[in-house]
Amino acid sequence: MPDVILKVDRAKKVYGKKVAVDGISFEVHKGEIFGILGPNGAGKTTTLEMIEAMRPIDGGTITIDGIDVASSPEAVKRIIGVQPQTPAFQDKQRLTEIIELFGAAYGERVNAMEFLNDVQLGEKASSYPENLSGGQKQRLSIAAALVHSPKVFFMDEPTTGLDPQARRNLWDLVTHVRDKGVTVILTTHYMDEAELLCDRVAIMDKGKIIALDSPKALIKDLLSRGFTKKQKVEQANLEDVFIDFTGKGLRD
Amino acid sequence: MKKTLFTVYVFSRLNTKRFFRDRLALFFGILFPLIFLFVFGGISGGNNSTPTINIALLNESKSPFAASFEKQLNNVKLFKVDKTIHSLSTANNKMQKGQLDGTVVLPPDFGTKKASQQYPSGQAQVVYTQNNQTAGQAITSGLSDAFKVINSALTKAPQPFSAVAKPTTNKSLTSFDYTFAGLLGFSIVGMGIFGPINVFPELKKQGILRRLHTTPLKVWQYFLSTMVSQALIGLISLAVMFLVAISVFHLKVVGNYFEIALFLVYSIVMILGIGLAIGGWAKNERQAAPLSNIVVFPMLFLSGTFFPRFAMPEWLQHVSAVLPLTPVIDGIRLLTTEGKHLVDLGAQLGLMGIWLIVIYIVAFRVFRWE
Repeated sequence: MPDVILKVDRAKKVYGKKVAVDGISFEVHKGEIFGILGPNGAGKTTTLEMIEAMRPIDGGTITIDGIDVASSPEAVKRIIGVQPQTPAFQDKQRLTEIIELFGAAYGERVNAMEFLNDVQLGEKASSYPENLSGGQKQRLSIAAALVHSPKVFFMDEPTTGLDPQARRNLWDLVTHVRDKGVTVILTTHYMDEAELLCDRVAIMDKGKIIALDSPKALIKDLLSRGFTKKQKVEQANLEDVFIDFTGKGLRD
Repeated sequence: MKKTLFTVYVFSRLNTKRFFRDRLALFFGILFPLIFLFVFGGISGGNNSTPTINIALLNESKSPFAASFEKQLNNVKLFKVDKTIHSLSTANNKMQKGQLDGTVVLPPDFGTKKASQQYPSGQAQVVYTQNNQTAGQAITSGLSDAFKVINSALTKAPQPFSAVAKPTTNKSLTSFDYTFAGLLGFSIVGMGIFGPINVFPELKKQGILRRLHTTPLKVWQYFLSTMVSQALIGLISLAVMFLVAISVFHLKVVGNYFEIALFLVYSIVMILGIGLAIGGWAKNERQAAPLSNIVVFPMLFLSGTFFPRFAMPEWLQHVSAVLPLTPVIDGIRLLTTEGKHLVDLGAQLGLMGIWLIVIYIVAFRVFRWE
């Protein structure tokens, strides 16, 4: 039995008459990369926000590392790191200062350069965020979310809008973060990303979890129900061609 | 405790640094109030010169006396004669537009000697509009004074009673003293209110405040750090205004600079609360702009920012007396040019204290991170 770090028990969120999250339950194990998949409006972001203590929980309980989110939001915030969908930073602030600022938000003095080097932004230490590319901003955002060594790291659609090189680089980073012992919970629209990165995924639709398992098991299950792809599976796809031509090296 | 204050310290330090890198913020924080200082300082003339009355002179008489009287009138300091006007209709037109305070008409028989009389005589007419009674009376009395001198010179009769002007050596407040205190108030409003209401909705729009909310950062830490950096920036901006006022407009500061600085910091913190409340509440610029206009403009006009409160009708003075900006402007003037000390400012400090509490209770209640 693996260690459970996050336990969501019949969590519910209602906006007016609309039930955004309809009493979902799931557990996330320590040290795994857990994906929440689903079409737009399925309730992924709302679920994340409730877990992150950003939205009141209308029903059920959520505990992270044994701490109840509803009653101790403060304590929960200290052990989680959050990467928002679109990272934004105040302009005219050096990257080192931004890292320093986030450290200070947790009351901690941090070595900014160390964190920037970790996400390959050491050379950009004195730049302002307005001069960074999309991928660089995502990396800065990751560094900023990890300044206080959180136990759980949440990422909301981290690779949306990134080029293939930046996506691959981000995947490497996410695995790297996990290898350091941090549990990663992410949402995504890219199935290839989920299949490659996630140890387990939950598929949400209309506020409910309709499937939860490892990507492999889910695929196997589908195949066992007699599913066959019409098209013949190629040994490579267009993305492989793209990467073959342009290389894996980061472009920003 | 040490950790929470460390948070405030780093946020204040980095926030202040940011300000000095932001050219737009520098312009609005420091240069913009200076422009106002030059504009309004220029209008109020720097020193207490007597106001001049704009008049037109229509000389319809051909007598030599009238001609010499016209010349004399041009030399009277109180009057500024508009020489482009030669008919009553143009004069009337200009008076109705308020460009002219009154018209002096010397009728055709002015200064002629009538057969029965020993001396030339005549009656000048002072024409003025209904709503410019004061100017009309001032012109009439100015002319009467002039005639009195002429009369006594002509008749050589002794004058038993007379009045003579004798200025005291005491300096009263100049109009610039009022203007300067008002402009400091304006500058504090500019930084304290317009600052946050422009910045906060933008930070919310970009999700920057929301991102900070995912950390354990508390509202009071965020407010306090904004306060510290605003007070610092505000003091620098106001110090520049003092320097310019002293060197260019000959402002005489009789108060103690330390007391003035303390009072200014207190004022900045109190007024900043209004900006934090509006900016912290508003989800976007569309909510912030109208509300700030409703709050700021009446306050600017009623608290003596652009013209002194004593010039207002009495009932309005009672209303404006309790506005938060009024004790700020009064206090600045009392400390800076009237030689009062903080201990004399009980009424102002007390009223500001009440506002401070009310404003910050509201600001904490309505604050939203997104």
